[in-house]
Amino acid sequence: MNKFKKFWKKLGEYNKIAKISEIARRYFVMNSFDGILTILGILIGTYIAKVQDYRIIISTGLAVSIAMAVSGISGTYLTEEAERTKKLKDLGRQTLTNMKYTSIGKAERAATLIVSFIDGLAPFLSAMIILTPFFLINLINLQFAYYISISISFLLLIILGGFLGHISREGVFKNAMKMVLAGLVSVTLIFILGVHG
Amino acid sequence: MSKIRLLVLDVLKPHEPSILKLATTLSDLEGVDGTDITLYEIDSKVENVKITLQGNDIDFNDVKKCVEDSGGSIHSIDKVSSGSVIVKEAETHQDGPS
Repeated sequence: MNKFKKFWKKLGEYNKIAKISEIARRYFVMNSFDGILTILGILIGTYIAKVQDYRIIISTGLAVSIAMAVSGISGTYLTEEAERTKKLKDLGRQTLTNMKYTSIGKAERAATLIVSFIDGLAPFLSAMIILTPFFLINLINLQFAYYISISISFLLLIILGGFLGHISREGVFKNAMKMVLAGLVSVTLIFILGVHG
Repeated sequence: MSKIRLLVLDVLKPHEPSILKLATTLSDLEGVDGTDITLYEIDSKVENVKITLQGNDIDFNDVKKCVEDSGGSIHSIDKVSSGSVIVKEAETHQDGPS
């Protein structure tokens, strides 16, 4: 328990130095949104194409989720590492110190790892939540699974928008509706292209 | 060898960790009874501080390591008092009006 307390205290210090929670929050919302709209797109696309085999939906959804997770983790890791290395070098030039092994260097490295992990986890988690009805296809029929999944997508958008509204203190309902609008635009465009395509 | 009782350093450090954190970390060092950190210059990325340490046996290497771990660098050692008592700087005729 002591070790955990120590670890948590250290994480708190790193968070103060590298502002981890602010950046992690941003990446979490941004990439959850990406994940939700991507899977929603797959659902609408397969619905229009009248896909009847739930396994196609699951394997497509799973493949895309994994791709988003890997892309999120690796892309963010490389980007954050480059930016933070530059920041440390600039600071080191000012203080004439090699920042790599200081508490600042450790904080920046921790930030890179945490933020990359969240960037990968966020879209994967949202996609898995949305696809859950298709994993329970023995209990519900395919049509119902589609409706529940699409409803879950919009529910997640509302929750995300509400969360953003809560952070910014700009109105939970207003931000939730903005997210829902983005989802509706996405669905509408896919339907139009699907019908005419 | 005599022990260091008072140490005054001129340090250049980044804003984080703050002087709150640095002061408590330095005060936790063995041989250090108390720490005073005064900010006297600041810009967008770094700040200049005067660190005053008082104790019964200050280890300069520990202090240096602590400062460097916080990303700071010791510009100069401005004052040292060692021995069994802290000796106050004596005034002489050569010193100008304060």
